[in-house]
Amino acid sequence: MEESDSEKKMEKENLGPRMEPPLGEPEGSLGWVLPNTAMKKKVLLMGKSGSGKTSMRSIIFANYIARDTRRLGATIDVEHSHVRFLGNLVLNLWDCGGQDTFMENYFTSQRDNIFRNVEVLIYVFDVESRELEKDMHYYQSCLEAILQNSPDAKIFCLVHKMDLVQEDQRDLIFKEREEDLRRLSRPLECSCFRTSIWDETLYKAWSSIVYQLIPNVQQLEMNLRNFAEIIEADEVLLFERATFLVISHYQCKEQRDAHRFEKISNIIKQFKLSCSKLAASFQSMEVRNSNFAAFIDIFTSNTYVMVVMSDPSILLTFNLECYVLK
Amino acid sequence: MANVDRDSRHLISKEDHEINPGSMNIQFDSSDLRSKRPFYIEPTNIVNVNDVIQRVSDHASAMNKRIHYYSRLTTPADKALVAPDHVVPTPGECYVYSPLGSAYKLQSYSEGHGKNNSLVTIFMIWNTMMGTSILSIPWGIKQAGFTTGMGVIVLMGLLTLYCCYRVVKSRTMICSLDTTSWEYPDVCRHYFGHFGQWSSLLFSLVSLIGAMIVYWVLMSNFLFNTGKFIFNFIHHINDTDSIPRTNNSNPVICPNAGSGGHPDNSSLIFFTNDTEVEQFAKWWNKSKTVPFYLIGLLLPLLNFKSPSFFSKFNILGTVSVLYLIFFVTLKAIRLGFHLEFHWLTPTEFFVPELRFQFPQLTGVLTLAFFIHNCIITLLKTNKNQENNVRDLCIAYMLVTITYLYIGFLVFASFPSPPLSKDCIEQNFLDNFPSSDILSFIGRIFLLFQMMTVYPLLGYLARVQLLGHVFGDIYPSIFHVLILNIIIVGAGVLMACFYPNIGGIIRYSGAACGLAFVFIYPSLIYIISLYQEERLTWPKLIFHMFIIILGLANLIVQFFM
Repeated sequence: MEESDSEKKMEKENLGPRMEPPLGEPEGSLGWVLPNTAMKKKVLLMGKSGSGKTSMRSIIFANYIARDTRRLGATIDVEHSHVRFLGNLVLNLWDCGGQDTFMENYFTSQRDNIFRNVEVLIYVFDVESRELEKDMHYYQSCLEAILQNSPDAKIFCLVHKMDLVQEDQRDLIFKEREEDLRRLSRPLECSCFRTSIWDETLYKAWSSIVYQLIPNVQQLEMNLRNFAEIIEADEVLLFERATFLVISHYQCKEQRDAHRFEKISNIIKQFKLSCSKLAASFQSMEVRNSNFAAFIDIFTSNTYVMVVMSDPSILLTFNLECYVLK
Repeated sequence: MANVDRDSRHLISKEDHEINPGSMNIQFDSSDLRSKRPFYIEPTNIVNVNDVIQRVSDHASAMNKRIHYYSRLTTPADKALVAPDHVVPTPGECYVYSPLGSAYKLQSYSEGHGKNNSLVTIFMIWNTMMGTSILSIPWGIKQAGFTTGMGVIVLMGLLTLYCCYRVVKSRTMICSLDTTSWEYPDVCRHYFGHFGQWSSLLFSLVSLIGAMIVYWVLMSNFLFNTGKFIFNFIHHINDTDSIPRTNNSNPVICPNAGSGGHPDNSSLIFFTNDTEVEQFAKWWNKSKTVPFYLIGLLLPLLNFKSPSFFSKFNILGTVSVLYLIFFVTLKAIRLGFHLEFHWLTPTEFFVPELRFQFPQLTGVLTLAFFIHNCIITLLKTNKNQENNVRDLCIAYMLVTITYLYIGFLVFASFPSPPLSKDCIEQNFLDNFPSSDILSFIGRIFLLFQMMTVYPLLGYLARVQLLGHVFGDIYPSIFHVLILNIIIVGAGVLMACFYPNIGGIIRYSGAACGLAFVFIYPSLIYIISLYQEERLTWPKLIFHMFIIILGLANLIVQFFM
């Protein structure tokens, strides 16, 4: 399997309006057992304008938000950034529904292109939206397009901005929405999550999404466990490379801080942002003190691994021999 | 483990991963140890597993990291990822208090220093320290003798000022850590470990609970007198009871004449057969019934989660003090001065100038000059931090002058030919009959002021005790209720059986002052000098002397 030089491409923001989605450059895919297709597989991030997609993408992928998200109108500029993750999935961001006729026409004319070759559809609902009927209507039209063009795509629905709901009502409201969405999505299956950028739910939802996208994740977990037991580590984490979302982890003793995954991810993404200012890219990290030593390093071309050990007498250098799994 | 040879590759490959390694390239080659530079982690992200009390909760630490990260994703002008108000936890309420003075909520300034000019800071210090201890100063002067009393007030002012100065400086002498948010108990913990933390908590509680007991006794007293005044006013009774009093238009009474021990509380001795009045006397008794009536009023107020409502009444404290000053001046003008100097022997009407009971005055003054627990926080609000010491000295001077003024005037104007100076009560308002209008107004002011400060003090005691023992300032309604019942019960007991506020103030003052005023500042100074190897014999002797003074102050209280 040839290796695509994903290291050579840094994440770039799109710099101007482009009217056509890039047709697939013939590239091999790698790492995961995805078939060798001519076109890149897409992850569609869709939702009404103002539902929080750009902020979400920026946070998960550590992208600078290049422009003010409080726009006066809809996204005139169609988002085509080359944000990629899980090897060769490209993230496309679309504002869906309710804009002027220009967007409507563009949307309908390009519909097949947009919805072809979709691996994942992530649809974002704003929990505070007053137009529930309209939201559901747009969601259903997206589902129809998916059914026509990419019937194997996985559907995820995020009920976003949950921090604006009172704490004691959150579960109730989410359950209601989840039932509605499940009902509307038939015959397709959708998974629902409730998210907010101000707590750990966003991170957990995207981690679950990524977890479901990895084809051989159970085997990976088994191997991770064996690996951890052999080296007697306290905890071993597997991160997705672009987003530092935790794919799986193994811990051999109770850890106190339940928020540690998101914190590590935020710390490393912040560090990556600093590194990118110096035209350097993050490769590995070692943190130690008298109580523990932690190593973060590239595991496969799409993952990072973090090993935490509390035995202070380990070696200074830590070389991971890694075998890519088929 | 699935072993696929042809795809195995070393993880840390030798090839260059960077696109264009510029001159500022950071290579993380793990074999080159010299290139590894440690990065500084903010203290908020470090949690010591040995900490009994965690400084930052996991949730707060995660939120902190989140906000840091989000702020890197946008330009500063962009409002897109700014934390909204409902997400960022509100800062904890910061209260400044002196046990017998006032307590109020302070603005916490994030930049580290505040916006108050010197005058406001001086006023704040004066206002916090001034309180009900004024009522016992004349009695203290009487116990010490006039000249001795005046001298002791000035000397104690200077001594406590010096110790306060040491408290303020103690924080700045710790160079190794970031101490900008520290208060004095944190400094104690730094030097003395857990013992320092728990002992400072204990002594702080002693002062708070002592103050609350004093408040209960005083509130019962004022409520009783107010009720009696209103009753007598409505029923047009002239209470001509057999208490010795002056026979003119400015009556001063001597409630304790004849009874050497406890003051006579059920003092209405009537020669009439008026059953209504007798009923009133039975149900409205200073030590048997009124303290219990207060329970119904104040116990519910103590259970509130947040007393910020009460901190709005802080102005009442200042008004009460100003009124007392005015009241004392007016009475002094009307009564005139009655001073005679007899140095060592007591006479029928006067006390000697030098008495051996002067430690009672020092005990009272320790609590009267007490602000060491929160002076650091108060001075942080000062705009020009370099004037802190000067402002502190000026504030202490003003407080000393106020105490001297009131003590001198009350003592000197006490009408001595008919009454003996020994009659001066521990609460000097008791020397005025309940029919006196001016003192009635004063009692009402003080009653209201104390009723608003009492829940605040209860809140502070609860926060400190429950916060340190249970980690949560409101574990459950039962914990809080039990604590409040204990405090209120102590107050009621004292009001019934030992309503001598002078005694309560001097015992609790000497005890809590022992730690905060005398021992800790001096000891910490000695230790920090020793660590810096700047300790000299004169300094050591002087500060040991202060510590011995503090110990003596406490021990001697029990022998007086």
